[in-house]
Amino acid sequence: MLAFVIRRILWMIVLLIIISFVTFMIFSVLPSADPVLLRAGRNASPELVKSITKTLGLDKPWYVQYGKYMQNLVLHFDFGYSYQNNISVRAQIMDRMPATATLAFGAMIIWLLIGIPIGIFSAVRRGTWADKSAMGTALVFISAPVYWLGLVSLYLFSKDIGVWPIFDGAGTYPTSGNIFTNPVAVIQSLILPWLVLAASFAAIYARFLRGNLTEVLGEDYIRTARSKGLGERRVIYKHGVRSAITPIVTILGLDLGILLGGAILTETVFNIPGIGRLAFDSIQKSDLPTVQGTVLIGAFFIIFLNLVVDIVYAFLDPRVRY
Amino acid sequence: MAPLLEVKDLSVTFDTEDGRVQAVDKVSYTVESGKALGIVGESGSGKSVSSLTVMGLTRFFSNAIISGEVLFEGRDLLKASDDEIRNLRGNEISMIFQDPLSSLHPFYTIGDQLTEAIRAHRKVSRAQAMDRAVEMLGLVGIPEPRKRVAGYPHEFSGGMRQRVMIAMGLINDPKLLIADEPTTALDVTVQAQILDLLERLQRELDTAIVLITHDLGVVAEVADEIAVMYAGRVVERGQKDAIFAKPRHPYTWGLLRSIPRLDQARGDELVPIPGRPPSLINRPHGCAFHPRCPYVQPDHMRVVPPLEPLADDAAHLVACLLPEAQRTALWNELKAGGTPEEARARAGVTSAGPPVVAEGSQAG
Amino acid sequence: MSRRSLRYALVACMMVALSLAVAACGSSNSSSTSGSSGGGSKTVPTGKKGGSVTVLSAGDVDYMDPGQMYYTFGYQVGYSVQRSLYFFSPKDSTKEIPDIAAAAPQISGDFKTITIKIKPNIKYSPPVNRAVTSADVKYAIERAFSANVPNAYAVGYFGDIVGAPKTPTNGVKQISGITTPDPQTLVIKLSKPSAGTVYAAMVMPITMPVPKEYASRFDAKNPSTYNQNVVFTGPYMVKNNSGGQLTGWKPGKSISVIRNPNWDASTDFRPAYLDSWEVQEGNNDAAVASKRILQGQSLVQGDGAPPAQVLQQAVNSYKSQLSFSPSGGTRYIALNTKLPPFNNINVRKAVIASFDRNALRLTRGGAIVGPIAWGYLPPNFPGFKESGGLKAPSQFDYLQSDTGNAQLAASYMKKAGYPSGKYTGSEKLLTIATNADPGKKTAEVAQAQFEKLGFKLNFREVPQDTLYTKFCGVPKSDYIVCPNVGFFKDFVDGSSLLVPTFYGPSIIPANNTNWPLLNDPKVNQLVQTAQGTPPGPKRDQAWANVNLAVTADAPAVPFVWDNQPIVVSKNVNDVNDDYSNGPFMAFLSLK
Repeated sequence: MLAFVIRRILWMIVLLIIISFVTFMIFSVLPSADPVLLRAGRNASPELVKSITKTLGLDKPWYVQYGKYMQNLVLHFDFGYSYQNNISVRAQIMDRMPATATLAFGAMIIWLLIGIPIGIFSAVRRGTWADKSAMGTALVFISAPVYWLGLVSLYLFSKDIGVWPIFDGAGTYPTSGNIFTNPVAVIQSLILPWLVLAASFAAIYARFLRGNLTEVLGEDYIRTARSKGLGERRVIYKHGVRSAITPIVTILGLDLGILLGGAILTETVFNIPGIGRLAFDSIQKSDLPTVQGTVLIGAFFIIFLNLVVDIVYAFLDPRVRY
Repeated sequence: MAPLLEVKDLSVTFDTEDGRVQAVDKVSYTVESGKALGIVGESGSGKSVSSLTVMGLTRFFSNAIISGEVLFEGRDLLKASDDEIRNLRGNEISMIFQDPLSSLHPFYTIGDQLTEAIRAHRKVSRAQAMDRAVEMLGLVGIPEPRKRVAGYPHEFSGGMRQRVMIAMGLINDPKLLIADEPTTALDVTVQAQILDLLERLQRELDTAIVLITHDLGVVAEVADEIAVMYAGRVVERGQKDAIFAKPRHPYTWGLLRSIPRLDQARGDELVPIPGRPPSLINRPHGCAFHPRCPYVQPDHMRVVPPLEPLADDAAHLVACLLPEAQRTALWNELKAGGTPEEARARAGVTSAGPPVVAEGSQAG
Repeated sequence: MSRRSLRYALVACMMVALSLAVAACGSSNSSSTSGSSGGGSKTVPTGKKGGSVTVLSAGDVDYMDPGQMYYTFGYQVGYSVQRSLYFFSPKDSTKEIPDIAAAAPQISGDFKTITIKIKPNIKYSPPVNRAVTSADVKYAIERAFSANVPNAYAVGYFGDIVGAPKTPTNGVKQISGITTPDPQTLVIKLSKPSAGTVYAAMVMPITMPVPKEYASRFDAKNPSTYNQNVVFTGPYMVKNNSGGQLTGWKPGKSISVIRNPNWDASTDFRPAYLDSWEVQEGNNDAAVASKRILQGQSLVQGDGAPPAQVLQQAVNSYKSQLSFSPSGGTRYIALNTKLPPFNNINVRKAVIASFDRNALRLTRGGAIVGPIAWGYLPPNFPGFKESGGLKAPSQFDYLQSDTGNAQLAASYMKKAGYPSGKYTGSEKLLTIATNADPGKKTAEVAQAQFEKLGFKLNFREVPQDTLYTKFCGVPKSDYIVCPNVGFFKDFVDGSSLLVPTFYGPSIIPANNTNWPLLNDPKVNQLVQTAQGTPPGPKRDQAWANVNLAVTADAPAVPFVWDNQPIVVSKNVNDVNDDYSNGPFMAFLSLK
C-alpha cells in the first residue's frame, strides 16, 4: 500500500507539471486577448506597451517565462502576481479557498442526505408510482443547468428580489470572515447556493444508487442473506447498500475534487467570492498567473481526491489490493 | 410418521412481459425426517423454483403467482406471514446454493457472515456466536478454523467456500437443508468431498436433505428418494434403488443412458436425449416430454399424463401414458444396450408420432 | 473613457440572454425619451446627512492609484475619494470647474504656458495628513510617465509638456516643463500651443495629487505598489491601516469607504451626505443586480447597466428610480478606409445610405436609449450645436434617412463603378464582432444590412477583449468591418472625441482607436487648427469643422448617441456623475 501511495504522489506531481505546461502553452499560443494591451489602456503609445511587456516579463521567450514560473513555484511556492492588480496569486487563492470549500462541503452533505435515501427508497420500491415520480423529478434536476436553476431560485426565493422572500440572495456572503469566524452569516448566505448546487448532484446520486442497488439486490449473496432468515431491512442495508455504495464513494471523491477547484457557475450567479469566481474573472481579463493558479489548484484537488478515493476503496472492498 | 415436508400440488407462475412462465406445475413430493430427497432435472425443470418457494424466497418476486400447499411439520408455509417464514429460514429450513463465491458477501469476513446467521435467530453474545462458527468450520473440515474465520470469501478455494456455505446452512441445526446444485461449480474431486461431507453430516446431525441437481450420479450416493422433474412437473418419483433399477419414464431412461457407467461395454455409445428443454411460456400440449420422446403416441400430444403409482410398487410413481408393460419391455431393451429405435422395434411400440424434433414447442 | 463598463454590460447581457432567453435586447414600443437627459444645467437634490449605501458592481476598479486609473468604474469610485485639479459638478457636466485648483488657469497668449493656483487648505487623509502643495501635483504628473506607473494617456494628452519623456522612464524622473515657484503655484510649459487641450485634460486622474515623500518608496518598485497604499484628498477614503495600506480594498470582492477625517467641506463643491459606502463586487448577472437595486434599499448601480428586460420594467414601474446619463460618445460601425472595397468613398457612402440605423439602435434598446447619431460629437457636447444639432446637415444626403434609402445607395454604388447598384465582388469581408449581447445582435443586424447591398461577410464573433487587443485595435490584422466600436469622451473637448478616432497620426500598431484608419490631410489640418484654438466658441466651431469634415469622409456608419441608464433604490436621492456615467457617491443622500 505504501509503495502504491508514493507512486501515485509522484505521478500527481508529473501530472501537475504537464497541466501547468499545457495551460501555459494555451495562453502563449492561443491567447484570447493580450494582457499587456488590456493593462495598457486604449491609445497607449507603443513605448508604453513595450514598457509594460518588459515589466510583466512577457518580452522573454516562452521557455524562459515558463522556466521562471516553475522555478518560483517549486522553490518558493510562489504563484506569481496578477497581471491586473499585481496581487499575489497565492494570497488570492488562499483568501478565496474557504468560501469554495464551505460551498462544496455543505452542498455535498446536503446532496448525500437527500440523494442516498431517495436512491435506496426508489430501488426497494422499484416500479411503483413513488419510484417513478422520484426518478422523474431527478431527471428534471439533472437536466436543469445550474446557472438557470440558480437564477430561478433567486427570482423565487431570495429575500431581496424573490417572489417568496425566504433565503438570503446573491451577494450576501460576508465580505470578511469564514465559516469558523462568522458562521451564522456564512451559513445563511449559502443555503440557497447549497440547495441549487446540491439539486443536480442529489438527483444524479439518487439515480445512480438506485441503479446500483437494484443490480446488487439481484445478486446471489442477497439471496443467501434472505435465506439465512435476516430481516429485510438488514438485507437491504447491511448487504445491499453496503455493496452498492462503494462506486458512489468513487464518484463522490471526484465530484468533490472538481467542486473544490471552484463551482464557477454557482459562485458567479450567487456572487460567492470563491476560487471559481476568481477563475472566471481572471480568464475574462486574460490574467495568466491567476488563471494558472486556479487551474493548478483545481487540478491538484481532482488528482489528490482521486488518490484518496482509491485508498478508501481498498478499505471498503477487501478484494482490492495494491 | 408424518413427513417433515409435504409439498402438495405446488404451482408457481411468473407473470412476465413475454408471457406467463409456468415454472412449477402441480408438483408434489415429501421429505421424511432425517432422510434425503434428490430432485433431478435439467435447467428450467422447475427444481430450484419449487425449493425457493418452500423457503418463501419466491415471495420477493412481485410477479409470482403461487398456489398449492407446502406443509412443514404440518403447517402450510404458503399461508404463513412474512415474519413467520423468516423465523424458519436459516433456522429450521436452510438452503445452500450453487456458486459459493457469488453467494457469499465479498465485503464481510466469513466469521461475520456466520455469526450473523446465528444471531438472526438466537440471543447469544458475539463471542459465543463466534465460538459456534469456529466449531462449525471445524465440523465441515476446514483446517485451523480459529484463524480462517477472519478471512474473506475470496481468500478461500472453491471447495472451501462451499464447505463454509454448508457450515452456514447447518449452523442453527435446521431440520431440513436444501442444497441447490451444491457441487456443480466445483471440480470432480472436490465434488466427491462435498458429497461425502453432506452425507456424513446428514447422518450425524440427523438433518433431512433435499439435494437438487441435474446429475443423477450425484444423487446416487446421497439420496434415499428421488424425484425427477421435467418442464415444471414431477415425471417420476420413488426410492433410489427402484429408480435406478427399474426406471419407468422415458426421460429418466434418457438421463440414465447418458451417464457413463463403469459396467458399460467399451464400445457402447452414450445416448444423449435429443432436443432442448421446452420453453416454460409455451409448453408443449399434453405430455411435456412428447416432442423429445422416441416412443410418442398421438394422444400423448393432447393428454397430460397424471402422476400415478405403479401396480407393483405404491411408493414408485410415474407420469407417462405408455402402458406399463410396454415401458418395462422398453427399459429391458435399453438396459441391454440397445438404442431407442431398436428398443422400440423389439418392444413392439409403434412409432406413431413424428420423429424427435429439435425445438420444444409443438402445436397439436 | 474606455469600454470597461460596456464590456461588463455585454457580458452580463450574455448571461441574461443565455439563461432567460431574453427577447432581442431591442424592445421597441413605449414612449421614447429621446435626447439625453444630462449635461446642461440641472438641479441637484439635497438630502439629509448620514447613512450608507452599497454600490453593486460586476468587476473591480482597475486601479486605486490615480496615476493608473483609466476605466469608468475606477472613475466612479475615484472621483469621490480623490480630487483632481479640475472637474465637473453634476449641476452642469459640460463646465469644467476648479477642484484642487483655486480658479480657472491663466493661459499665456501664445498658448504655451499654463499657470494654476492651488487651494491652500486641502489635506490628505491619514497617515499623511498634511496639506496638498503644487509639488504634489507635479510629482503626480511626473510619475505617470514612468514605467512603474503605466499611464495610457500621459503621453497622448500631456506629451507636449516641455521635457516630457516619450518613452516610459525607469523610475520617476523630473520633468523640466513643470515648475512650482511656491507651494500654491504650478506652472506648466508646453512645446506646442496646445494649452486648450491640456487644460481640458486636467480633469483626468493624472492631476490628483500624490505626496512624494510618502509615495516614492512605493514608486521605486516596478510595478509601483502605491496602488495598495493610496492616500486620499476627497471627502471619503478607503479604509486603511496606520501604515497607509488599504485594508478596506479586497480586490475582486469589496471596497469599504469611510469619511476622510481631514476633508474640509468648505473647500469642496461635493456635499458628502453619506457617512460611508461600500462597493460589492462580483455581481456578474446584470439582471439580478439591477433587480436587487430596484426592489431593495440603499443600493446603487456600479459598473453594470440594467439589461433591456429590466430597463423596460424600470421605465414602467420604477420611473423615479431611473435616470439617464449621456455616455458622451458615439457608437458606430467602422469601415476600413485603407483596404478594398471600402477604400472607395462612394462605396462607403452607399453603405451608410442603405443602412437602417434605427434597426441598429433597436438592438441596444431603441429610442429610449438615445437619438440616432449622424456625426461624432454627441448632444450637449461643445461643437454639437455648431455641427448642426440632432439633424444631419443637408449636404450629407446619405445620412438623411434613419431607416435607409435603397435608391440613393444604389446610385452611389453606380458611381463607384457597380452598374447593377450592388456589390459584385465575391470575396468575404473580414468582420470582427463581439460574441456577447447586445453587441452581438447589433453586428448580426448589420450583417443583414451589408448583404442587402451584395456584400458577403467573413463574420467572426470573439470576446470583446479579443476584439480590441487582437483585431480591431491592431491595424495589421486587416479587418474590413468592425461593427461594435464606440468612442466615449476622456474629457469635455472635441479633441477627446475626434483626435484618437479620426486623426491620421493617431494610428498606432496596437490598441489603436482610429479604426477606420482615416488619414485625410484635410481632416488632419483642421485638427491641428482646432488644437491651437483657445477655449471658447471659436474652439467649439473649430471642432465642429473637424466633425463635419470627418462625416464628409464617410468612414463609418454612426447609429446612436446613447445614454447610460442608471438605477438606484427607492430611498436614495440619486445624483449622477456624467463623467463616469454612474451615481456620484459624494453627492448621494438617503431620503
